Amino acid sequence: MHQTHGERALILMTGTNQHPLREILEQRIAIIDGAMGTTIRTYGMTEADMRGERFRSAEKDLLNNGDLFSLTQPGMICDIHRRFLEAGADILETNTFGATSITQSEFFVDDPRERGGRKNPEFYQEIIEDPQLSMLAWDINETSARQCREWADRIGHATGRQRFVAGAIGPLTVSLSNSPDPDDSGFRVVTFDQVKAAYMEQVRALIAGGVDLLLVETIFDSLNAKAALVAIREVFDQDGLAARNKELPVMISAAVGRGGETLISAQTTEAFWNAVQHVHPLSVGLNCSLGPDLMYPFLAELSARADVAISCYPNAGLPNPLSETGFDLGPGDMARFLGDFARGGLINIAGGCCGNTPDHIAAIAKALEHQEPRALAAVEVMA
Amino acid sequence: MSTPVATKPLRLSGSQPFTQQPGSFILLGERTNVAGSPKFAKLIKEGKYEEAVSVARQQVENGANVLDICMDEGMIDGVAAMSRYLQLLASEPEVAKVPFMVDSSKWEVIEAGLKCLQGKGIVNSISLKEGEDKFRQNARTVLKYGAAVVVMAFDEQGQAASYAEKIRICERAYRMLVDELRFPPQDIIFDPNILTVATGMEEHNNYAVDFIEATRWIKANLPHAKVSGGVSNISFSFRGNNKVREAMHSAFLYHAIAAGMDMGIVNAGMLEVYEEIEPELKVLVEDVLLNRRTDATERLVEHGEKLKNVGTVVSEKKAEEWRLGTVEERLSHALVRGIDTYIEADAEEARVQLGRPLLVIEGPLMAGMSVVGDLFGAGKMFLPQVVKSARVMKKAVAHLTPYMEAEKAAMLASGQEVKAQGKILLATVKGDVHDIGKNIVGVVLACNNFEVIDMGVMVSSEKILERARAEKVDIIGLSGLITPSLDEMVHVAREMERGGFKQPLLIGGATTSRAHTAIKIAPHYSQPVMHVLDASRAVPVTTSLLSVEGNQAFLAQYREDYEALRKAYATPRQTAVPLATARARRTPIEWRAEDVPHPSFHGICVLDNFPLATLREYIDWSPFFHTWGMRGIYPRILDDERQGTEARKIFADGQVLLDQIIAEKLLTARGVYGMFAANTVGDDVEVYTDCARQTMLQRFHFLRQQVDREGTEPCRSLADFIAPKETGLPDHLGAFAVTTGIGMKELGDRFRSQHDDYNAIMAEALADRLAEAFAECLHKRVRDAWGYGCQETFTPAELVQEKYRGIRPAPGYPACPDHTEKGTIWSLLNVEANTGIRITESFAMWPGSSVSGLYFAHPQARYFSLGKIDRDQVADYHLRKGMSVAEVERWLGQNLLYDPS
Repeated sequence: MHQTHGERALILMTGTNQHPLREILEQRIAIIDGAMGTTIRTYGMTEADMRGERFRSAEKDLLNNGDLFSLTQPGMICDIHRRFLEAGADILETNTFGATSITQSEFFVDDPRERGGRKNPEFYQEIIEDPQLSMLAWDINETSARQCREWADRIGHATGRQRFVAGAIGPLTVSLSNSPDPDDSGFRVVTFDQVKAAYMEQVRALIAGGVDLLLVETIFDSLNAKAALVAIREVFDQDGLAARNKELPVMISAAVGRGGETLISAQTTEAFWNAVQHVHPLSVGLNCSLGPDLMYPFLAELSARADVAISCYPNAGLPNPLSETGFDLGPGDMARFLGDFARGGLINIAGGCCGNTPDHIAAIAKALEHQEPRALAAVEVMA
Repeated sequence: MSTPVATKPLRLSGSQPFTQQPGSFILLGERTNVAGSPKFAKLIKEGKYEEAVSVARQQVENGANVLDICMDEGMIDGVAAMSRYLQLLASEPEVAKVPFMVDSSKWEVIEAGLKCLQGKGIVNSISLKEGEDKFRQNARTVLKYGAAVVVMAFDEQGQAASYAEKIRICERAYRMLVDELRFPPQDIIFDPNILTVATGMEEHNNYAVDFIEATRWIKANLPHAKVSGGVSNISFSFRGNNKVREAMHSAFLYHAIAAGMDMGIVNAGMLEVYEEIEPELKVLVEDVLLNRRTDATERLVEHGEKLKNVGTVVSEKKAEEWRLGTVEERLSHALVRGIDTYIEADAEEARVQLGRPLLVIEGPLMAGMSVVGDLFGAGKMFLPQVVKSARVMKKAVAHLTPYMEAEKAAMLASGQEVKAQGKILLATVKGDVHDIGKNIVGVVLACNNFEVIDMGVMVSSEKILERARAEKVDIIGLSGLITPSLDEMVHVAREMERGGFKQPLLIGGATTSRAHTAIKIAPHYSQPVMHVLDASRAVPVTTSLLSVEGNQAFLAQYREDYEALRKAYATPRQTAVPLATARARRTPIEWRAEDVPHPSFHGICVLDNFPLATLREYIDWSPFFHTWGMRGIYPRILDDERQGTEARKIFADGQVLLDQIIAEKLLTARGVYGMFAANTVGDDVEVYTDCARQTMLQRFHFLRQQVDREGTEPCRSLADFIAPKETGLPDHLGAFAVTTGIGMKELGDRFRSQHDDYNAIMAEALADRLAEAFAECLHKRVRDAWGYGCQETFTPAELVQEKYRGIRPAPGYPACPDHTEKGTIWSLLNVEANTGIRITESFAMWPGSSVSGLYFAHPQARYFSLGKIDRDQVADYHLRKGMSVAEVERWLGQNLLYDPS
C-alpha cells in the first residue's frame, strides 16, 4: 500500500503525460490548505522565538516575516503543515510567500526613504546581487519545500492518499505596473529583469527542495505574475527540465477587487486569463482579497472562460480587525460558500486564504467530499 | 482528410479582454508608429512623451482595436523609448485597456516591449529572413511571454513578392510553429507583404492580386491562422494625393477582407467608405489593384492629377458633448474620466467664477474626487483610474498654484497670517513591509498639492515622531497590511499622546477599518484619529482637516460618527441560534384537551354602534397621560408630587369631553370579531373553514425568537400557543378589528376651526383609549365564549393588568412585528366591509383609533418580544409568505440581526 519516496517519483515520471493530481481533479475536488500567517499568530510566538540563533542580531523586527519561521521554528511550521494535511488538504503550500531576495530585503535593508532617498532600479539591483539575501531566499525555499515534502509524504503514507507540495510564489512588495512618483507615471522602482531574477532563484530553490507544483498566487499585478511565469519557463529550459520532460505543473491564482480586477494593475478576469493561458497551467483561479461571496461572479466568469482546472481559496470574508482572527467567516460559513460553488459546478480545487485555520479546511474538505468537480474540458491533443 | 473545424478567434488583452469577432476587421492603430506618423516621431525624438501618450489615446477613441507601437528610427534609442512609452501607457487607463502590438525590426526592442505588457499583445514581427534557428528562438521567446505573433513572408532569400513565394514561405513558417514549437495556430498572424503597385514597373502590377490570393490560400489551408498587412504601402506611389490613396486603401481592403484578411495597420481616420468612392475613381483604382488593364496605372495617375490638392476630410473626433455642461460638471467629468485636455481652461473658468483659487480646489475639484471615490468604492473604477484622476487634478492644481501664491503674497504684505501648503508624513509601521497601496496614497496626495514625506516601510514609532517634529508636518498617516500592524498603530497613537502631539492621525491599509480605528486606536490619542478607506478618500479627508473654514463642521461630524461606532461596539453583540435549533426549543407546552376550550360560536360577529358608555368601563387610563407627556400609572399619578396637579386637571378635562362625546354620540364604535377552527403547522397557523378542518381559509405566518436565548429559555413564537395539527386537538384562533375613530375627523376639525387644539388633541387621546377599551371589552366576550371567562371575577384594574388567561397580540407589535399579517385578518373577517376600517399601503389602519389583533386561549400563551432574527429565518419566512427576501427585509428592518445591504 504505502509508497516509498522513490515510487512516488516514479508515478510522476512514468506513464502518460497525465499528472496524478490532474487525475484526481477529474474525479473529485482537491483541497488546498489554509492560511499560514494567521495560523502562525495563534502560536503566540515572540520576536526572540522568530530570531532564534541565526537572526539574533538582526536590526529590524522580524516577527512578521513569517517565512523565516521555517528556518527558526521548524517545529511549529511543521505542526501547521501536519494539521492542514490532517484536516484533509491534498495540496500543501510551502511557507515561502515572501521568500525572494526582493521581499526579504524589506526586513534586512534600510529603507532609503527614511532618510529622504527613494527606491529605484539601482537600489534593487544591489538587492538582487546581494549574496546574503540570495542565500537567505534560497534557504527558506529549499528548507520549506523539504519540510512540506516530508510531511506530505508522511501523512500521505499514513492515510494512503497521495499529497502534493505546491511551491508558493507570492506577489512581491513591489509592483511593475505602478509608479510611486507623482511627477512621473512612467517610473518604476524595479525592472522586469530584476523581478524575474528574484523569482528564478526562488523557483530553483523550491524545485531543489522537492516540490510537486509551482503556485504563482495572490496576483495583484499581472506583470509581476508574468515575470514569475517567464522565470519558471527559463528555469525549466535552462536547467534541462523541459528537455527531460520533468516540467512541474503550474498553478496560477489572482487576487481581485470588487470589479474583478487584479488589485493593483486592474486587469479584469478574462483579460488576465488571456494573458496567462499560454503557460498551459494545471489550474487558474482566485484567492485572498474578497471573501467567497464577493468573489463568486468573477470565479463564475473565469470558470466559463478557462479550459483548465479552476481553483478557489478565498479569505475567510473581508478583513475585520475587530474579530479575533481578523476575519469574520467561521469554518461552517466557508464550507457553506464553497459547497455552493461546488454545486454550481465552478471549482476543481478549493481551500482558504487569510483567516482560514485547519478547522476551516477540515470543514471545507468535509463539505466537498462527495461533490462533483467542475467538468474538465477534454485535454487538447497537441500532436 | 480532416473535417473542417470552426476557426478559433484571436484573443488578446490589455487590462480588458479583446476577442476577435466574426466578420469584423481588426483595426491596428498606426499613429503610434514613428514610421507611420512623422508627428509622433517628432514627439518621441523631442522627449515629449506626455503628448505622445495623447496620440495613443486619440487612436483608441477613434476606434483602434490594437495599438501598433514602433520606435524604429535612427535617432531614437529603441529599447529605452519602447519601455518608457509602454510604461506611461500602462498608467493611462483608457489606453491600457486595449492590447498593444510591439513593432520593431530589432529583437531587443521587441523583448523590451514584451516586458512591459501585463496583457496579451502581438509581436510584430518574426520571419525566416535570418534562418530557421533565429526564427525558432524568437518564436519561443514570444511563446514564453504569451503574445500573438506577426510572421512576415520573408525567408533566407528575401521578401516574398509573388503568390507562389508568399504561400510557400507562410506554409513553411506555419508548419514549424505549429508542428514543432506547438505555437497556438490562432495566435499566428501572417503578413504576406502588401507591396506598392502602380510604380510603373510591370512586375509590380500584380502585387495586390498576389496578396489577396495568398490571403485566400492561407485562410483555406493553414487552419486558424490570421492575415494582416500594412495597408498604406499599397498606395505609396501616390504619396501626396490623399484622395487617390484613400480610395485605393478602401478598395484594396474591400477585396482583401473578402478573401479573409483579418486585420490591418490602418489610419482609421483616413479611410474612404468603399460604397462612397466616386464611381469613376473606383473603376480606375480597381483596374490597378486587380491588374485588369495594362494601362491601368497611367489612367489612374492621369485621373489622380486632377484630384490633387482636393482637401480631404479626415474624420472629425466625435463631438464632445460633455463640453456643454457647467464648469463644475466639466471638472467632475474630466476627473472621473481622467481627461486632462481642457482641465486648465476649466480650472481657470472656475477660478474666475468662484473668485478664489482655493475655492476651486475645495469646491468642484474636491467634489469630482468624491465621485471618483464613490465609484472606486463601488468597484466601478479601478486603482489606476484613481491615480489618473489624481494626475488630472495635479494639472488643475498646478494651474491654480500661481494664483494662490499671489494671494498669499498679498496677505503677507498686508500683515495677515498665511497658511503654508499642507505637509503630510506617511509611513508603513514597524513590522510591516507592504506599501504599494500607501505609495498610491502618496501619489494622490502629492497631486493635490500636499507636500508628502514618505518614510517607506518598517518604520518605528520613534522615527516617525522624530521626523514629524523635525519637519513640522500637519498630518501623520500610518499604513499597514497585516493584522499585527493594527497593534503597532495603537502604539504609535499612544506615543503621540505621550509626546504631546497635536497633529491628526490617519489610518489606512487593507486590514484596518473605521470601526477598529474608532474603537481601538482613537481612544489612545486625544486628537482626531481617522480611518481612510482607500487612496480615493485620502484627499477629501486631508483637505477637510486642513481647511480653515470647513474643519470645524468636519471634526464635529467625525466625533459624532466615531462616538456612535464606539457605542454600538460597547453594546453586547447578539448571537442567533440556527432556526432549526430555535424550532426545537419552542415553548414547552404539554398539549392536553382540557387546555383547548371549545368556543360557543364559530364564524364572524359584527358590532355596530357599540355603546361607548360600556367601553368607558374598560379604559386603561395610564396611556392617556402618556399622550400628554406624563409618566406614571393611573390612578397613582393623580397624587404624584410633581405631576399630580397637572394630571388631575387633564383628567378632569378628559372626563368632561368624554361625557360630551358619549352624550352627543360624537364618535361611533364599530367592530368585528370571529372564532375559527385552527391548528399549528410548523411556525404557521392554519385557519379552517369549519370544524371538519379539511379546507383552509387563511394561514397566519409567525416568526420565532432566535437571539440570546440563554440556557433553557424557550425560543417563542405565537404559533406555539395553538395546538399543533399532529396533536389532533381541535384548537381555535380568534381575531378582531375595532374602531372608535368614526366621527373623529369631524370632531377634530371642529375644535381646530375654533382654534381649540387642546380639545382636538384631547378628543384623539380619548378615541384611542376607547378603541383599546373596545379590544379589551371584546376580549372579555371572547373569553366568555370560550367558557373559561365566565368564572372570571376581575376588577377593571386587574383587567387592565391583563391578569386573565389568554392574549391578544397585534400584527406590528413585538410578538408579531410584520404589519402585513394584518392583511390576513382583513380577509378573514372581511374587515373593511364589516366596519369601514381600511388598511393603507403601509398597512396602517384608517381611521386612526383602530385596533386589530388575534386571540389565543391557551393558559401558557404569553406576550413576548420577537427580538432579532437571522438570515436563515428570513429566508424561510420568504418562502412561507411568498414574499421576496428584499421585501421581508424591508418589513422586518428593525428585527434583522444583520445588515441587509
